[in-house]
Amino acid sequence: MKISVMSEGLGLAYVDGGPPLAKKNRGRYEFLEHTADVLFRAYGNNLNELFENSAEALESVMIDLSNIALKDIKHIKLSSDTYENLLFDWLSTILILFDVEYFAIRQFNVNIKETSLTADCSGEKIDTRKHKLKVEVKAVTYHELEIAQDDVYHVNVTLDV
Amino acid sequence: MKIMDLKKVNDFTWEIQKDPLVGMRVPGRIFLSETLLNYLEPGAIQQVKNVATLPGIQKYSFAMPDVHTGYGFPIGGVAAFDVIEGIISPGGVGFDINCGTRLLATRLKLEEVYPKIQELVNKLYTSIPAGLGSKGKLKVSEKELDQVFINGAKWALRSGYGNESDLKHCENNGHMESAEPSKVSPLAKKRGMPQLGSLGSGNHFVEVQYVDRIYNQSVAHTFGLRENQVCIMIHSGSRGAGHQICTDYLRAFQSAAFKYSIQLPDKQLACVPADSTEANDYFSAMSAAANYAWTNRQMMSFWVREVLEREFNVEVNVVYDVAHNIAKLEKHKVDGEMKEVYVHRKGATRSFDKDPSYGIGQPVLIPGSMGTASYVLCGTKDAMEMTFGSTCHGAGRILSRKAAKHQLTSKAVIEDLKQKHVLLKTGNISDIPEEAPEAYKPIDEVIDVVNKLKISEVVLKLKPIGVIKG
Repeated sequence: MKISVMSEGLGLAYVDGGPPLAKKNRGRYEFLEHTADVLFRAYGNNLNELFENSAEALESVMIDLSNIALKDIKHIKLSSDTYENLLFDWLSTILILFDVEYFAIRQFNVNIKETSLTADCSGEKIDTRKHKLKVEVKAVTYHELEIAQDDVYHVNVTLDV
Repeated sequence: MKIMDLKKVNDFTWEIQKDPLVGMRVPGRIFLSETLLNYLEPGAIQQVKNVATLPGIQKYSFAMPDVHTGYGFPIGGVAAFDVIEGIISPGGVGFDINCGTRLLATRLKLEEVYPKIQELVNKLYTSIPAGLGSKGKLKVSEKELDQVFINGAKWALRSGYGNESDLKHCENNGHMESAEPSKVSPLAKKRGMPQLGSLGSGNHFVEVQYVDRIYNQSVAHTFGLRENQVCIMIHSGSRGAGHQICTDYLRAFQSAAFKYSIQLPDKQLACVPADSTEANDYFSAMSAAANYAWTNRQMMSFWVREVLEREFNVEVNVVYDVAHNIAKLEKHKVDGEMKEVYVHRKGATRSFDKDPSYGIGQPVLIPGSMGTASYVLCGTKDAMEMTFGSTCHGAGRILSRKAAKHQLTSKAVIEDLKQKHVLLKTGNISDIPEEAPEAYKPIDEVIDVVNKLKISEVVLKLKPIGVIKG
């Protein structure tokens, strides 16, 4: 009996092992081992950069960033009590823009004052004929979410996928 | 904590001794064979210990044999908390509230379906919305969504997606009374509305399977299953609605935990006292998400039924439907006395010894990894005594998604499935390695442990012939 395998739908091509941005962007963010979910470590010379790089890491899990045009800008304003809570709210907002408004972002411009944030996020509406969707992120977790600082700021973020 | 620090209680039970210095209130117990012990990660042991520090925890912090590192609770974690002294934790349920499994049975034999499997898989794929950000086929208003949150799968029946007997064989009859849509945020509703009646992606699937081997003929007969019979298994959850409800309460409980002076080893374990208003609000919203998930699986069952009726002119019955990410208010024996507790099952299945619809232990549905066997087991008295009526939920990951993609190619996985006579249809080829059998523990070994421990008894084995993935 002949058994065949079909694939269609999103018109996706094969990819090789691991997120391709991990190596290229070492220094901004990298993906680490986690058995069930996605874990990345983001870096930044300051908190603005740390938040921008974390958001790009999240976005890169969900979609191929290479062909997202900078057509539209979303302005985001958030306020919180701690930097960790602010980061959680920030990343959750990026995820919601993706999941609810189907808006993919390639450029983040973050400005943090105290524990408040304003950001301009440039990108475009997702078009499945053009964009390559990757992994469905269910949520940002609080698992071991601690912002630390040595020579640079860094944070480990676990995403539920 | 290292594996060598675990104390062997019996052939399948390993204890993490209570260490008050790190705040453990009870010991941890992990159920593993010697083989599965090799897969145990230090991170998972740490997470079992972390759960043991939560206020009001009863007896043990448990981990089932499919345990692996999660976030907050380990996957495969079971913990019960006192209703007064204890807590409720959104992290102990997870983001995909009432992610679960449903098994549908047909009267068809393997020989009747196998020659037409390609056509059947194609038809199922076009009938069930699947994939990243997949939207349902119908648009529900916010008012209707509230009815879904309140009534669960009953809403689906009233809307024409099934019949009364479907819910007779379903955990909680497909709905939790405790649901309260006013405790669900507008954002969670916004995420939930377009996705009702969709499979999602990741490890969610619809599989065409057949009964390969029966281990307990009499129980299989009671569940209406016999050798060579074709079944359909659905694995799905509460989609964006559930994810957002968990996110909302997890966020809110960051400060609530501080307010109630609860010390946490991990922010993801954020929790509130079980008798607080906050706990009641979360439990009401979580129940709404659970109802959404049961509705979701009911609607997908309807579309499966439509396809099978059209293609084979055959009836489709629900064997059972189980939740494996949920918190429940249940009565269990603790220190010789029956008491109410909030049982958190995070990647664990209920395994009650009495199911009113069958008059014996409830069916326990355990999906294997893609292309491998799934099992039907039966709930037991031993589970009621030992594990707050709980057992495993699947195979349990051993390879990270990153490692799986590194070690395996989609082509090789597809080739392997072909060898096993399994047809796969997916919209996302690049994710295939992430769900390959090599990324998971051997399901047969996991089932062997729960069977020998008697926290559920094996009834039969199902093998797949067709897989639909998002």
